[in-house]
Amino acid sequence: MLLFFVGVARYLAKRALYLSVTFVVASYGVVVIANFGGLVDDFLISQIRIDTLQQMNNDRSLQLLRQQCPACWEEEFNRRINVQIERRGLDEPFLQKSARQTVDAITLQLGKAISLRTATGSQDLWDLILERLPRTVLLFTTATVISAAVGIWLGLRMARRALSVMDRSLTVASITTVVVPSWIFGILFLLVFSFGLKLVPSGGMVSVPAPTEPFSLTLDLGYHLLLPLVTVTISSFGSWSYVTRNLVLQIMDEDYVTAARSKGLPEKVVLNKHVLRAAAPPIVTSLALALIASWTGAIITELVFNWPGLGRLYWDAILVLDAPVIIGLTVVYAFLFVLTIFILDVVYSLLDPRIKALGR
Amino acid sequence: MAAPALKTVLSSKEVLIEAAKTKAGMVGFGMLIMLIATVVVVPIYAPFDVVSAWGSFAPWSDNPDLAAPEWVDAFDSRALAHSIIIEPGDFVKSKGCNPEGTFCTITITRGFDWNYDQFPSEVQIRLLASWAQNTSPPQVQATWERPDGEVISPLFNMFPDRRLPDATILAVSQNDDLRETIRDWALGLGAQDQPFIRAGDTLFAQVGPEMLIPTSAQVMKGRYTLQFQINAFSSVDDVDVKFLAYGTVYGLAGTDSQRRDLMVGLLWGAPVALAFGTAAALLTVFAQVIFGALGAYFGGRWDEIISRGTDFLLILPVLPVLILVGAFYQITIWQVLLIVVAFSLLGGSTKVIRSIVLQAKEDLYIEAARSYGARRLRILFRYILPRTLPYTFALIALSVPSFIFLEAALSFLGLSDPVLPTWGKILGDAYRENAIFTGSWWWIAFPALGILFVTVGFSFLGYAFDKILNPRLREE
Repeated sequence: MLLFFVGVARYLAKRALYLSVTFVVASYGVVVIANFGGLVDDFLISQIRIDTLQQMNNDRSLQLLRQQCPACWEEEFNRRINVQIERRGLDEPFLQKSARQTVDAITLQLGKAISLRTATGSQDLWDLILERLPRTVLLFTTATVISAAVGIWLGLRMARRALSVMDRSLTVASITTVVVPSWIFGILFLLVFSFGLKLVPSGGMVSVPAPTEPFSLTLDLGYHLLLPLVTVTISSFGSWSYVTRNLVLQIMDEDYVTAARSKGLPEKVVLNKHVLRAAAPPIVTSLALALIASWTGAIITELVFNWPGLGRLYWDAILVLDAPVIIGLTVVYAFLFVLTIFILDVVYSLLDPRIKALGR
Repeated sequence: MAAPALKTVLSSKEVLIEAAKTKAGMVGFGMLIMLIATVVVVPIYAPFDVVSAWGSFAPWSDNPDLAAPEWVDAFDSRALAHSIIIEPGDFVKSKGCNPEGTFCTITITRGFDWNYDQFPSEVQIRLLASWAQNTSPPQVQATWERPDGEVISPLFNMFPDRRLPDATILAVSQNDDLRETIRDWALGLGAQDQPFIRAGDTLFAQVGPEMLIPTSAQVMKGRYTLQFQINAFSSVDDVDVKFLAYGTVYGLAGTDSQRRDLMVGLLWGAPVALAFGTAAALLTVFAQVIFGALGAYFGGRWDEIISRGTDFLLILPVLPVLILVGAFYQITIWQVLLIVVAFSLLGGSTKVIRSIVLQAKEDLYIEAARSYGARRLRILFRYILPRTLPYTFALIALSVPSFIFLEAALSFLGLSDPVLPTWGKILGDAYRENAIFTGSWWWIAFPALGILFVTVGFSFLGYAFDKILNPRLREE
């Protein structure tokens, strides 16, 4: 027993070390990429110069100053630029800046966005994320749960009647829908159901103006949620059904299942007690990872449905080159991802006897 | 795709043949062959210089904008308007000058039949004039004769634009003088006045109080005649006319808001998607397979480095990285490919192949090879990698669609190749121009279906391979 815990602990310590090193390196990679190796700063500085010049050219008194004392004007110009550069933290050398941003990122001190704001005007990144996250969760996490439930249920049915017409047609449906990203379905569905049949709204999360009464607001939200939800579900149930089917079929071929059957156990008991128990761990792993992944939203799907979630935030951040937002979103996701993997490691090391052997 | 145990070892040739025998394989290969046939046909329908002008306006100016495909006609009870274009050479032209050569008259005339139930989407007259430097430009006077005998004379009386001598374009509905001439003519016939009229429609409208009202005017079918009387002031002067009554349908796939023939873009989308998808899939899967095999075979530190690298690259989000790069630089499709490959040197396939090689290297025949002194690299490349080849096919077939979608996603966001039209780019244009809400369904449906077609073809192929490689799933 003691040996078991030492083995598990040693194994987990090793995994934790690997995962945290991966996380730190990946975070630094993200910081370098989001700043484009410092290029973003140069770009932003030149933008500040242009904006400041324009601002000063529009000012009559400064134009006068430029004619009378060009040096004073120059001085004022540089002063204004430096104020802007300092205010936005663009004066740090890149190496120092990237190191600072990485440390901040891995300690999850996300800081402030450069130019993006929440609806209430906050530039705090956590506020920004917490404003958008519920919307993304509402759409994508709900869709993940529904598609996993539907997919697993279908997969089990398909496996029970393997190679039947139902199995084959569902297999074809699964493998074809799963490769197609939801935005392609989205744009086609919008064309058919929104423009053609006028059954659902063309996008957005609530009507404009939104109803104030909670009940009608919920109804309105549901009405807007319907098509995106169905779209994302359709494009993702396939992987669940196909994987579950193959997994169950593989396990049904194992000797111990044959043994259970030959004992005369009813098929239902064999499926529930023997097959499902063995099939559960990989499915739970996928489910955990899919749930975490659903929190990032999806850039293009959110654009197509005009859904103001985290994917849209990411896209907006890229458009205005808001590096802290890009870093923050990516690192928070990477952190959740790594954390989930580690939790799964812990769970499996306690459940799987083979891990014990690995630790020795 | 989990790594299954190999019960029987199939050679890659056998796998290909077996895959082609299954139904899914047949469908997949069939779709692929159709695509390749398209790639062969494309240069005949639209040579490269046609498609390389995708970004410019002039080559497409004779097409109607936002026109539905022509075959929509078959599903509509009305006769939808097709474009009628009268080229300069199609007009009957006569020219006579005085003996001194200081004054000439040119007459240009031509009739055409308008037998559609719709108004033309636009009416345009282009004057192509050239005249001696030292004289006044020629004076052009136009007359419009209608099937009901009504005549608008003059429709206009003008001199070609001195700044644009070779193409004075008169868009009937947009030109203020023309519009007022037509309005006055219609008012003289008892039409009800309207602040906003479509003068091009009025030209083709049945006489009546509603002929100026865009929503309720009726089309008059029959033979229309255009006549131009030109007074030129030198014998070298010449004027040619081109007349365009734009239709509401065009070609096999319609046009977009920039008048481009979508069929050209759709056809060229096939080779672009195929080339990008297969090149990216081949390069990344081979790289991932080789790294996976190297790591698993040599084990120890190599394995550790490759496994950690895989995790690292799997955490980095590729799409946002590409979006960032695309937002900074104008990148061609091949530079996109390069970045994709660089970020996918290690990935999912590395893990799959690693687990297969881990199993394979314990096999007896490998031990045998080792015992007679085969070098390690020889064992890896001659004995182990060939065994992973069938899986590699499946992995390639399954990853082609994802790369096609990656390219489509980037183009959709407007961040891909500046010249070549791709399906994603056409979709992105349609999205930005609100094609969903203006009802230009052909602009969205065809590129989306093109993408679906390729990916479905490849996933059928991948499925066929998968079935053969997972013997348990084989059909009896």
